[in-house]
Amino acid sequence: MTHTLHRSGTQESLSRDYPILVIAAQSVNAKDSGPQFKKALEIILKHNPVNVGDMRTGNYFRKGLKPVLNNTKDNSIAHGVFTNKKDLEECLKELADAKLGPSVVATGLFSEVWDSLKKIGLKPHSVNISLGVWGKKELLPDQEILDITTMCGHHCVSPLLVKKMVSDVKRDKTSIEEASRELAKPCVCGVFNTLRAEKLLENLINRS
Amino acid sequence: MIITESCVGCTRCVPYCPAGAISLGKDKKAHIDRHKCIECAVCFNNAGCPVNSFQLEELEFPRSVREVFATVYKAHKDTNVPGRGTEEMKTNDVTGRFRPGMVGFSCDMGRPGVGLELKDAEKLCMALAKHGVEFEPLNPLTSLMSDKKTGKLRDDVLGERVHSCIPEFTINEERFPEVLEALKEVSKEINTVFSLGLCVKINEDGSVPIMKYLDDNKIPYYPGGKTNIGIGVPLAKF
Repeated sequence: MTHTLHRSGTQESLSRDYPILVIAAQSVNAKDSGPQFKKALEIILKHNPVNVGDMRTGNYFRKGLKPVLNNTKDNSIAHGVFTNKKDLEECLKELADAKLGPSVVATGLFSEVWDSLKKIGLKPHSVNISLGVWGKKELLPDQEILDITTMCGHHCVSPLLVKKMVSDVKRDKTSIEEASRELAKPCVCGVFNTLRAEKLLENLINRS
Repeated sequence: MIITESCVGCTRCVPYCPAGAISLGKDKKAHIDRHKCIECAVCFNNAGCPVNSFQLEELEFPRSVREVFATVYKAHKDTNVPGRGTEEMKTNDVTGRFRPGMVGFSCDMGRPGVGLELKDAEKLCMALAKHGVEFEPLNPLTSLMSDKKTGKLRDDVLGERVHSCIPEFTINEERFPEVLEALKEVSKEINTVFSLGLCVKINEDGSVPIMKYLDDNKIPYYPGGKTNIGIGVPLAKF
């Protein structure tokens, strides 16, 4: 379940992409942790996330905010996505100060995330590094499509849907913002970065 | 997943399928290719079928395995963890699962967006098992192994197509080059892709154990990834 690890893209594009997750260990501190996830989501919401979600319920764009906030469970995994370091730092600082119990994982360029942690007096504990894609790579969708679809690590956002959204925007059937939100809906966890997707869609539209 | 006779052939659902399993038939109705379908229910949950033509099925084993590896919001029965069922390094600050000197591997098979038949997962697991790796017991794929020492999966699941699954194991750091080489070899033999992830505990001085080896040997890795920020309670003792 490495759902925010393998996000592809240029460094410039990834520098606007900071998903975080909050998770309890089922064998250690999960018991009665459900309410803590609600508190974590409330903290995340104070810092301008472009998406939030709970893996047990769904994401903001499909479920709405109340169901996500009010259905947290002991095995919830709460998520939020930030598009700049300032919001990331302030959120992580508040989560650390709240001492909720569950673990917190921040995804993003290592240099940027670690710099943020240093600024707020935290040290990285463990890391998950991606060595990229191995095997029969000729089966993969185009890289420009993957830069969008890998923002849903469980790959519930279909490459065909990206193409459809590009086509719909070009034909004025929808806006880039709406297209990005539609792409975010199948990503159950709420880790799809809609602002980054808008830029990537724009690139695809300009090039096609 | 099935599409009922009420389908009006509007094709709205077609692009939502991450496996490309839905198409319009000669009868002008949408059809699901049962072999390609990974039972993720993305069509059911997101496509907004105007006539509610999608119907969830009660799946029997072994087809139910597809749903296990594709339905994100359901928790796995063996691990109580949603997604694809493992916590890996996300909770390492409290579990201490990845200790100094150890490297965790997660081979995210079928990802991104390709999928796989479980016989390819077996091929990879058996190749790794020859190098003595021990598969993570709290992982849904491990629970499908008929022999955890050889990495052999149950025969009745081998033909099942899944969205992705994650062979997961931990080794001593000194064995890293050998296991990486084994993965390189087996990657030529499988009919799918895998995204490779490594988990390590960061040293007290802030250095990352495996990065020097990767840099020295010019093994490419992504500039970004996941960082456990160490604020879980209670913290594991290392």
